[in-house]
Amino acid sequence: MSQHQISMVLDLNKCLGCQTCTMACKKLWTDGDGMDYMYWNNVETRPGQGYPRNWDKIGGGFEDGKLRPSDIPSKEDYGQTFEYNYAERLFGGGLQAMPQEEARNTPNWDEDVGALMLGENYYFYLPRLCNHCTNPACLEACPRKAIYKREEDGIVLVDQERCEGYRYCMRACPYKKIYFNELLGKAQKCIFCYPRIEKGEINACAKQCPGRLRFVGFLDDPTSAVHKLVHVYKVALGLFPEKGTMPNVYYVPPFNPPRRGNYGKSVLDDPRMPVDYLKYLFGEEVVDVIRRLEAELRRAQSGRTSDVLQLLIGRDESVRYQIPKHEELIQIQGARKA
Amino acid sequence: MTRLALIVAGCSALYGQSALDPSSAEWNAAASVSLALNRTPPLYPTDAPAGLEIGSVQLQLLRGPAGTFVRLEWADKTHDATALPKAERSWQAEHLVAQSGATDRFSDACAVMIPAQPPGGDLSPSLQMGDPAHPVRIFFWDSTRGVAVMEASGRETTKRIGQSFPARAQYAGGKWAVAMQLPALPEGTPLAVAVWNGSQQDRDGRKYFTIWYRPR
Repeated sequence: MSQHQISMVLDLNKCLGCQTCTMACKKLWTDGDGMDYMYWNNVETRPGQGYPRNWDKIGGGFEDGKLRPSDIPSKEDYGQTFEYNYAERLFGGGLQAMPQEEARNTPNWDEDVGALMLGENYYFYLPRLCNHCTNPACLEACPRKAIYKREEDGIVLVDQERCEGYRYCMRACPYKKIYFNELLGKAQKCIFCYPRIEKGEINACAKQCPGRLRFVGFLDDPTSAVHKLVHVYKVALGLFPEKGTMPNVYYVPPFNPPRRGNYGKSVLDDPRMPVDYLKYLFGEEVVDVIRRLEAELRRAQSGRTSDVLQLLIGRDESVRYQIPKHEELIQIQGARKA
Repeated sequence: MTRLALIVAGCSALYGQSALDPSSAEWNAAASVSLALNRTPPLYPTDAPAGLEIGSVQLQLLRGPAGTFVRLEWADKTHDATALPKAERSWQAEHLVAQSGATDRFSDACAVMIPAQPPGGDLSPSLQMGDPAHPVRIFFWDSTRGVAVMEASGRETTKRIGQSFPARAQYAGGKWAVAMQLPALPEGTPLAVAVWNGSQQDRDGRKYFTIWYRPR
């Protein structure tokens, strides 16, 4: 267990599905050889197949304290990468830019498809990255001891020198957020932008997010937004808590707007999307979280001030991000012990 | 420490540099011995069971002043090897990104393990990658990534030592033949062989292995 834990909270009510975070990460970290199919950060439409395809059903994580079996996702599960016929389109008189091969699956294959409930379509966006778990299944599974969790901030990293590409970590991760670079023979994953964090700069995905939905800070820093949202206001939950890895990326669940013609009714009484689906993703506690958020909404609608909603608005970076310097970390540690 | 169960191997006092070619005529004259392969038991609870698809490996040795040539041959119905484009670690303006072709395939491979220090007496290190008092040296060949020399002193201690060694391989008629040029192995040096079958998702300790043999 690390001394400190950096964390991210994502308010799914604000996600636009614009993939700016995805591209910020892609351009910064995964535009090298062998990384073509990797999106350390991706945004997927829920309900949907996800990326890699059906990752939530493949396996991994813990059951009764033991690693659960799983397959390794195939390249087809992650989706194809392909070039377009730019030369033909631009210089050959072609009318349309088309993929050079037939696409059968891509990372965002079923974007905005969602599902139907009572004849109405519903969906929301789920941005995903490595959860930098407190109990990482990948670390547990690696026979090379190539995966480690940093003492100073809890970031989980793959030592590229020690890694032999055995891919037990890919099997073990219940979120399927570890990728295999076949050219290098190494497992690679989100590094939580640690070189930026160490300089006091925020993660690229958070920095570029036009929806301002990401909050970053140390969970053990009582002044941080993430601490307040997770531990004080209790409006953010981890994905699939039953997988047993104790993820450190949290989500404010979709606020679940009521269906048309039912304004004023609780989303729990008359939901536009099945509450069971939210329970599937975030566990039973999501119902309590929705109740808390609804109460805060009523509070704001009645003219009073909701500290929770004010915080979730996240007006500027100073509200959303609290990255302590090293000496401040020591103070936080002292405060916690006291 | 494991007592030797069997001492047998084919040897020849003659050799040439062409012995690095596994199809070289020099190997025709070298005695060949069939070593039984065993399958490691499931190492992790999440491992899928694996059957005994490769029952044995043929071993030949040629000794000489430039070292010891080892030739391994085994039947493998699937040719699990990939010709990978070379990865560029630095960005180049005209460089198109090379793609990972697959995420879930594994390569065929083999290795010869010897004691890291000359053995004393007729005892050999633990078959499980040696032990702290008796480290081992491993000459590893991978059909996709080539060769590496490793050292270990027990399970989960294997590490590359940054050295290479000459080796050549060919796959024909459903068989792998791999010739390796190792340092001169003193008379009586025990060796053990391991084979990985990529189509059975072999890697790490999931593999076929022989017991220790002492060529003479």
